[in-house]
Amino acid sequence: MSEKPVTIEISDGAAIPRRKDKGLVSAWRLAFFSALVIFTCLLIFKREPYLRIIKFLPDGILVTFEVTIASISLASIIGLFTGLGRISRNRYINLIASTYVEVVRGIPLLVQLFYLYYALGRFVRIPDIAAAVIAMSVCYGAYMGEVFRAGIESIDRGQTEAALSLGFNRTQTMFYVILPQAWRTILPPVGNEFIALLKDTSLVSILAVSDLLRRGREFASESFFYFETYTMIAIIYLLITLLLSKFVGIMEERLGRYEQR
Amino acid sequence: MNSVNPIIQIRNVYKYFGPLKALDNVSLDVNFREKVVVIGPSGSGKSTLLRTINQLETIDRGQIVVDGQDINSPANDITKIRAEVGMVFQSFNLFRHKTVLQNLTLAPLKIRKISKDEAEETALKLLEKVDIKEKADSYPAQLSGGQQQRVAIARALAMNPKIMLFDEPTSALDPEMIGEVLDVMVTLALEGMTMVVVSHEMGFAREVADRIVFMDYGQIIETGTPQHFFENPEHARSQKFLEQIL
Repeated sequence: MSEKPVTIEISDGAAIPRRKDKGLVSAWRLAFFSALVIFTCLLIFKREPYLRIIKFLPDGILVTFEVTIASISLASIIGLFTGLGRISRNRYINLIASTYVEVVRGIPLLVQLFYLYYALGRFVRIPDIAAAVIAMSVCYGAYMGEVFRAGIESIDRGQTEAALSLGFNRTQTMFYVILPQAWRTILPPVGNEFIALLKDTSLVSILAVSDLLRRGREFASESFFYFETYTMIAIIYLLITLLLSKFVGIMEERLGRYEQR
Repeated sequence: MNSVNPIIQIRNVYKYFGPLKALDNVSLDVNFREKVVVIGPSGSGKSTLLRTINQLETIDRGQIVVDGQDINSPANDITKIRAEVGMVFQSFNLFRHKTVLQNLTLAPLKIRKISKDEAEETALKLLEKVDIKEKADSYPAQLSGGQQQRVAIARALAMNPKIMLFDEPTSALDPEMIGEVLDVMVTLALEGMTMVVVSHEMGFAREVADRIVFMDYGQIIETGTPQHFFENPEHARSQKFLEQIL
């Protein structure tokens, strides 16, 4: 082997590129604009069948949005209460929240969807979209509960003690002092959950919910343009997901502001 | 009435951390406007004792009466008692998501329910008092340790407490910042605030304390005036401790 002395460079935080130093080409921009260019080119240079496909899809996009937004809202509320339950000093609340998380995390979302729609559907008739939203929220509520719990636990105990010593009760301490700070830690993983949820809404296409993927399947099976249709679907999911991740990034930066020196 | 009865009465208090006896039959009275400085080696239970006074630590046996109210009695609302007892921590514990001014106004607004104007007026006066008014709109992360601790004292004062507890307020500070925090505490003492201070600052103890309490092994070993304690400590353990630090 070579005789060159081996030097080990010890880098610290300062040597790791900062988020702002990305320059013109970031992974996000590369992905987003490539997708956008391909999307536009296909529509301009190969109008048949792409224009027909795109005209067929808006209903589906709308349903995907509806299911996503409803599920995100509901899952966040469930997640907050689950997270609070997981750190509760009340043994029973704690046990209920923990059991819920363990059970839901142990069953695949697809199975939960089938179960709610087909198995329980024998006893109660739940409307399609409602079943989709309930299943997604229950599942993601458990994931988000864990994110909330970790975020709350990441806040230094001293903050709680300072609030208590001023005369706040435990609920006030949570809402005025802990959660506003935990939110910053929670946001990136919650953003990831939102994005994962958006993508997982494609699973509801196995119910009779006409979301983006299902509309695509309908079009493809009638026209036999499988390649073209699924290319379009993939690009649309990618564009929406990238926009959402950008939005999460912007929120993150805003909330991080008070930490700056 | 306050001037007659001790404002803090600690009676035969025991506290265990698992098998460890953190407080072993501790009794202590603090009078209205009195300044008590608690000293002792680390692990002697002095911080634990201080934290039991506003129930940041619960006790296993004994009784603590603050301003006439038994703090462990279910009939008394501990949050109300805590609002009357200010506390300053070693690690400052300023609310990191709030500006300096908001740190001072949060509790008065939410707990005392006073108007925003009134809360801010009081807060600015207090910030002037601790000489840091110009940082009112800064966030804690932008301040030095000494500045943060002064803000923390002002935050506790914003609730207009009857008693102030200090838990090693200068131990986390760089040496050049200790003075500015002690100055604020001396001013407070001169104004007649009732203070219980856990500290390693012997100069401060000598200057300000009405009484020194020396603790070791979870027990109060000796109490006395600074003069008595520093000149003629009675107990062998106090003598040894003083030899080590002076």
